[in-house]
Amino acid sequence: MKNEEKEFYPDYLAEILLIVFIALEVTIVLALVYPQGIGRQINFSTPYRPLPEWYFLWLYQIVRYFPGRWAFVGTILLPVTAVLILIFIPYIDRGKRGRLKAILAGLILLLSFLIFTLLPALNP
Amino acid sequence: MGEIFDWIDNRFGIRQPHRKFLHRDIPEGVNYSFCLGGAALVCFIMLFLSGIMLSIYYVPSETEAFNSIVRINNEVRLGWFIRSFHKWSSNLLIISIILHTIRVFIYKAYRSPRELNWVAGSLTLVIVFASGFTGYLLPWDQKAYWATEVGTSMAKTIPIIGKYLLYLVRGGEDVTGTTLIRFYAMHIIYLPSCLFILLWAHFHMVRKQGIKGGL
Repeated sequence: MKNEEKEFYPDYLAEILLIVFIALEVTIVLALVYPQGIGRQINFSTPYRPLPEWYFLWLYQIVRYFPGRWAFVGTILLPVTAVLILIFIPYIDRGKRGRLKAILAGLILLLSFLIFTLLPALNP
Repeated sequence: MGEIFDWIDNRFGIRQPHRKFLHRDIPEGVNYSFCLGGAALVCFIMLFLSGIMLSIYYVPSETEAFNSIVRINNEVRLGWFIRSFHKWSSNLLIISIILHTIRVFIYKAYRSPRELNWVAGSLTLVIVFASGFTGYLLPWDQKAYWATEVGTSMAKTIPIIGKYLLYLVRGGEDVTGTTLIRFYAMHIIYLPSCLFILLWAHFHMVRKQGIKGGL
C-alpha cells in the first residue's frame, strides 16, 4: 500500500508543519483579540448559577431534566453510558450490520452532544 | 564535510533512525483531515508549555489564588497573553480532539487491529474533559467557585457512595481551599501524567499498526 506520488519527506512533513503553524497562529491571534478577563471576586452571600464551559453545557442541560431522587440519571448514569458507548464503538461494530450499529451509536452520541449543547446556549 | 559527518554518525548513529523517520510508508488516500490528531497534539504541547509558565506565578491558595491571577494579568510581562493562550489552546484542543474522533470514526480506523488505540483515544478525550473541569476552578473567582460548587455537588447524587465521593472530591463538606489544592494537583500533576502515558500508548500503536488509509 505504498503511496507512489507523495513521500513522507518532504511532502507530508511540509503539510504537517503547515498544520503546526496554523494551530499556533490561530491560538495566538485568538489570545490577542479575545484575551481572558479577570472574573469577580468570590462572594459567598450571593450564589448564582454560572454557565459551565461550552463543552460541559450538555451535562448542565441533561442534569436539569432529572430533579429530585432521579438526579443520578442525569449526573452519572447517562454520562457514563455515553462514555462507555464511545469506548466500546469497536466492539459495537461486530458481526452482521456492525457498521450500521456503530454509525447509529456514533450519531446518537454526536447529535445528543450537539443538541444539548445548543439548547442552553440558545436559551440560558 | 562528509567525512566529519560520517565520523559523528559512526559514534552517534543518527543516520539510520533519521532515514526510518523520513522515509516511512504513507498509505493512499491520506488527506488534510488526517492532521486533526496532530493539531490536537500541537494544542496539548502549547497547553503544556503555557501551563508550566503560568505555574511560576500562580499561587494555589484560598487567599492568594485570585490575587495571583490579577497579578498575572496586570503585572507580569505578557502574563495576560500566556493566560489567554492557555485558555484558547484548551478550547482548540477540545474542538480538534472531537473532530479527530469523528474523522477516525468515518474512516473506520477503529476496526481491528486498532480497537485498543480507539480505547486509548477515548480515554484521552475523557481526561481532557476532566482537565478542563479542574482548570476551571483555578482562577478562584465567582464563576469558577459556583461552577465547581454545582459540578462537584453532582457527585452527591450517586446512590450509596455519593456522600463519600463528594467528600473525596472536595476534601470536606464545602468547596474550600482544600478543594482548590486538590483540583490544582489534579490539573497539573495527575491528569497530565495520565495524558502522557495515554498519548505515548496512542502514538506507539499508530507507529506499530501504521496509518489506516482512505475509505
